[in-house]
Amino acid sequence: MRIKVFHFLSIAVFIFLALSLLNTQVIQGDKYRDLSDKNCIRLIPQAGSRGNILDRRGNILVGNKISYDLVILPQDPGESEVTLLALSKVIDVSFAELKKRFRSGYIGPTAPVTLLKNIDIKKAVLVEEMKFDLDGVMVQPSTLRAYPYSRLASHVIGYINEIDRWRLTKLADYGYKTRDMVGFGGIEEKYDYYLRQEDGGLSVEVDHRGRFMRVLGFRPGSSGKDLQLTLDIRIQKIVEDNLAGKKGCVVIMAPDSGQIFALASSPDFDPNVFIRKSNSLIEDLVSDPGAPLVNRAISGLYPAGSTFKLAVAAAGLDTARINRNTSFKCAGNIEIGQRQFNCMHVHGQQNVVQALAHSCNIFFYRAGILTGPQQIHDYAVRLGLAGPTGIELPYESGSFIPDPFWKKIYRFQNWYNGDTANLSIGQGELLVTPLSLCRMTAVFANKGKLVTPYLVKAIDGQDVSSAHSKISSAHLKENTISVIRQGLREAVTDPSGTAGALANLPVEVAGKTGTAQAPGGAAHGWFIGFWPFKQPEYVICVFLERAGAGTASVSLCADIIRSMAMDGLVEGAGK
Amino acid sequence: MRNVSLKIFIIALLICILGVLSIYSSTYRKEGELWQNTYQRQILWIVIGIVIFQLFSNLNYRRIWDITNVLYWVMVVLLFMVFILGIVRLGAQRWLRFAWFNFQPSEAAKLIMVIFLARYFSAKSVDDIALKAGSFGLFRALILPFIFVAIPVLFIVEQPDLGSGAMVFLIFLGMLFLSKIRIKYAFMLLLILGMAVPVVWNHMRDYQKERIMVFLNPNVDPLGAGYTIIQAKIAIGSGGFLGKGWLSGTQSQLRFLPESHTDFVFSTFTEEWGFAGGLILIFLYYLLIRQAIVIAEKTSDHFGRLLSLGIALMLGMQIAVNIAMNLGLAPVVGIPLPLMSYGGSSVIVTFAALGMLANINKTRAVF
Repeated sequence: MRIKVFHFLSIAVFIFLALSLLNTQVIQGDKYRDLSDKNCIRLIPQAGSRGNILDRRGNILVGNKISYDLVILPQDPGESEVTLLALSKVIDVSFAELKKRFRSGYIGPTAPVTLLKNIDIKKAVLVEEMKFDLDGVMVQPSTLRAYPYSRLASHVIGYINEIDRWRLTKLADYGYKTRDMVGFGGIEEKYDYYLRQEDGGLSVEVDHRGRFMRVLGFRPGSSGKDLQLTLDIRIQKIVEDNLAGKKGCVVIMAPDSGQIFALASSPDFDPNVFIRKSNSLIEDLVSDPGAPLVNRAISGLYPAGSTFKLAVAAAGLDTARINRNTSFKCAGNIEIGQRQFNCMHVHGQQNVVQALAHSCNIFFYRAGILTGPQQIHDYAVRLGLAGPTGIELPYESGSFIPDPFWKKIYRFQNWYNGDTANLSIGQGELLVTPLSLCRMTAVFANKGKLVTPYLVKAIDGQDVSSAHSKISSAHLKENTISVIRQGLREAVTDPSGTAGALANLPVEVAGKTGTAQAPGGAAHGWFIGFWPFKQPEYVICVFLERAGAGTASVSLCADIIRSMAMDGLVEGAGK
Repeated sequence: MRNVSLKIFIIALLICILGVLSIYSSTYRKEGELWQNTYQRQILWIVIGIVIFQLFSNLNYRRIWDITNVLYWVMVVLLFMVFILGIVRLGAQRWLRFAWFNFQPSEAAKLIMVIFLARYFSAKSVDDIALKAGSFGLFRALILPFIFVAIPVLFIVEQPDLGSGAMVFLIFLGMLFLSKIRIKYAFMLLLILGMAVPVVWNHMRDYQKERIMVFLNPNVDPLGAGYTIIQAKIAIGSGGFLGKGWLSGTQSQLRFLPESHTDFVFSTFTEEWGFAGGLILIFLYYLLIRQAIVIAEKTSDHFGRLLSLGIALMLGMQIAVNIAMNLGLAPVVGIPLPLMSYGGSSVIVTFAALGMLANINKTRAVF
């Protein structure tokens, strides 16, 4: 009897064990299989190299160089410390520092931890030689961004840095991971998808102490695609040399296509700071009141000042409220509403050409009131002064032109003639980016076409300029354009013209200055222009923050043209 | 009749072969000659075990009756020697060093206690050759055997080898149940053991307490005491239905699993052979236990009957506890898997026990 009970019990126990085994192996098998793989398979990333960025002639603006990173495969906690202690002696970095880096870099027992990036080649060789005493320590070659021209075009290019939380949430679906290096600002950010390399990797089997056993698989990394920009580093360099030490920006563009030859903003920054990961220097960049990380040419919004008179003249002429011969007398000031509006000088009788050449405010007050604010607004929109230009750079601000309707809705105020007078000389609530002014200037340079500025000429050798250049008509009458062009030319040639400093250059320049009053300091200095006058190849916009007057921008432009002429670049752009 | 002992022998040999395969697989990639030779040494133990099996299957088990008391006291002395002279190994003194091998007296103690208790409970009255056990009072049924059991158990627990100590006690409990004493005594012992748990807990070493705490929740200490349990479960679970294949188990070969050739050889085996292999192994073990029970049922001699049942109990409990601990269903105690785990003492003692079974089957007709 008791034997039967015993027999029955033993059968029950064996069945119970078999069922438990079934549960562990078959029902939960996948879970444990996964855990087992994680236990013994480590992935060692092998980075490809990010795409190069070239200028229009194929010079490498941004390339890559090889760097050696010190990586450790985590082992048992005690063993890792022993290894780190040994390592600290070999590479002469304090044990505490290594421990700190190990802790902060530790993700899990399966992921290698990068201890030091970009170590000295001598130390890398030393570590490789001592490999057998340093369990799990590896020297991993990776590529680093290299900037052969240092700061050149830093705002166009941007910089690269470890992906932040905000970008990661946006980009996780596109295969971005934590600790990826991604572009910040400029082309690096906008074209990150093309530039970005695909990381390859080595999957290796390790034992319980993280020691390498054998290679299971290998996938080589692939490099990112090269981008060719429309920038010409020779022009870019001239621009940046002349802009150095000043606050402002310069854009030089091809009027017919919208290709950007040079785009510089000052103060600029050194993208190497982010490569070196020097936290104090990055901190300085971010907190600098001069905002060196801001690309003023596309993100800065400023009152246009007298440069906006081109739009007013275009509106007046095109709607036939004024014509070539319409003239107003400038007595130095005028009363509109109950307010007195001034001019810089007493110009006497002025027609539109003279008024543009001398930048006579009185003419434009009266012409503006004749034309009406809605027409001025509409023509400004036609000239591309509303909204962003569509250049392929991130963080572009949109220019803004007020109109009576807007004022009613957003400011709960009526529009008065005084507002029209202010608008007519580019003051008041109107705000533009230097790039959008450059684009407006191009309409007069190329005789009526509104172009879209662009920077990328070719991706991976494929010419993409046809896809990027979007050219539409500004719908201006031929006569309007030729009258305004004449005014712009006379600003240079007329002895009393505002841009007279450009008269004695080896090339015929036309342009318009602007002095934009802005609250809280000296006026901003503007100059927009193009050359050669007959068949323009370059259109330029110079902006100098708090320069006092437009003349500062004119002389900067003269310096740039002179330097370009010396290098034989002043004509024959793009060749 | 010869048929049954051949059956036992073949089943045991099959299990041994599976054991050697797993031991080879878990050690061949480890550096050092000591590791590489492990499977060869196990083969040597099995060969010796087979000789012992033949020896015992031809030795009339009644002779063992005659020397039971001698065996008991030799065992006590050996355990005492371990207690005094034992060399430190794995933090525990469980071994006696002989000329060229280490002997683990606690393995032998299990079998000797089975023999001792089988004899004790099958003593016959001189007057009417009736079994005495049926008329045992509390003292003879429980207290006296308890003292005899307690002496070796104390030494074993002090080694410290809580697992084997508890195993001997459980054998005692089982034999009480299977003997002809009144059933109430068996339940009484069960009650006493239950009450003793808190006392034992207070006397346990820290690592032993830790093991039990960790058994209740392995994630308390995933890198310390819980490590083994977690790794064993991963090893078994990752085997899946058909296993990773012989020599392809990553858990055991890459040393994630400690003791992969001794106490955790079951994990090593099932990782590579999967549920299919594990089921076959469990079935083989069941066949072995079944043979012992069948022999007991057929045997009318009380000593032979109780001895076969005791052997079935001893093997069955070790198998169940070891597999349960591999599956994370029992605390990690140092109980080997009979015939699979690496270790001479266990292999030889198991073969000796099986040899006795074969002999009981062969000679029972005589009585």
